[in-house]
Amino acid sequence: MYLNNFEYFAPKTPGEALDLVGRMGNKAKVLAGGTDLIIMMKEKMIQPEYLIDINNVKEFKGISYEPGKGAVIGAATKISELEYSPVIRDKYFALHQAAGELGSVQVRTMATIGGNSCHASPAAETPTPLVAFGAKVVISSVSGDRELPLEEFILGNRKNALGEGELLTQFILPEPAPKSASRYWYIGLRDAMEIDAVNMAVNIVLENDGRTVKELTLVMGSVSPRPLVSVEVPGILVGKEFNSELVEKAAQAAAGEAKPISDIRASAEYRREVTAVLARRLLQAAFDAAREV
Amino acid sequence: MKQLIELTINNRVYEVPVSPKDLLADVIRDKVRLTGTKKGCGQGDCGACTVLIDGEPVLSCLTLAIACQEKKIDTIEGLVAEDGQLHPIQQAYVDHGAVQCGFCTPGMILTSKALLDRNPKPSEEEIKRGISGNICRCTGYKKIVEAIFAAGETISTAGVK
Repeated sequence: MYLNNFEYFAPKTPGEALDLVGRMGNKAKVLAGGTDLIIMMKEKMIQPEYLIDINNVKEFKGISYEPGKGAVIGAATKISELEYSPVIRDKYFALHQAAGELGSVQVRTMATIGGNSCHASPAAETPTPLVAFGAKVVISSVSGDRELPLEEFILGNRKNALGEGELLTQFILPEPAPKSASRYWYIGLRDAMEIDAVNMAVNIVLENDGRTVKELTLVMGSVSPRPLVSVEVPGILVGKEFNSELVEKAAQAAAGEAKPISDIRASAEYRREVTAVLARRLLQAAFDAAREV
Repeated sequence: MKQLIELTINNRVYEVPVSPKDLLADVIRDKVRLTGTKKGCGQGDCGACTVLIDGEPVLSCLTLAIACQEKKIDTIEGLVAEDGQLHPIQQAYVDHGAVQCGFCTPGMILTSKALLDRNPKPSEEEIKRGISGNICRCTGYKKIVEAIFAAGETISTAGVK
């Protein structure tokens, strides 16, 4: 349970951080929360020569929101800050819920939004709602920034789109549409400190009549190597008046799209069943909430 | 490659030689010799190694000591007043029989403190949620929840921190 020897760097500015990431390339790992990284080092899954601790770079932290434009979240922002942020709760409720259900209070104090996506566990909590909101990530290097939809950043189980010398620095969330609401939930073996068997986020936009679905995104986690965006569910509900018959059809469609595996936490069959359960509950909850907006 | 760093633990500055790979839990126990902080699973699941950093509960078994310079670290030893008087949370644990083998207790109490600092009058559900990252192998959770509830009452009526 001990770590290999490495050299430690704690840059204070984005420039210093990007310079170090650029110079050290694949020999370095970036330390954000450490709740996944240090465990992987303890288990000798990785043995980096250098650690670049980005927690002292204040530009990489914090949540800013501009009405009409949306939110920008620094990649090193702690999960607990998302959990307690009034803006995240008011505007991006599904992300507020996912942040509050991640790990324990200690893990949420340490772990970061950027780390959760970079680690790219199929069972990760925050990528599911972030993809449902259409979040983009900013990837920085000494030669500049590029943006990518988060959906394209997460490539598969523990694989992300970062190239050598690149660092994930921000998440950009669009302003929520009027008459919209979002919901997140999960099913696991126990209530706390579990790894989700299935998680899901729904983001729904209604027409002014408060009944017709204008836009809808349903994203499933832990039933595919990466966040799975439903194609069939919007096809069933968008342009229609919301009703329980269509919800049932949509729930079955989501379960059909899920590509779960059997593992220590649940069988593929169980995961498919509860995908339908979550879809039914979340579609209804998001619809009810959007009517109140 | 060791280097000397300063760690502020329980309002006292300690100068300790560390390697970058040294974990805060090991430095606190083996170098600073404050053995109240326990090491359990080493993977961030059990919460026995919980300390407070700038008032927030953190897993010291997953934290590099070198990353804690210029931070305020509190361990269980720092909760006792100079005259030896127990902190109201510690007293509540004693009064309610919330300590069995005692191994989870330091981490559990520090997590309780962070919870009560944020929310002095938590509901039973909020307490359970708050301590869900601290595992008690004796499974004495009921008395722990009662102790935290009572400590919250004491703290909010007496205004103790």
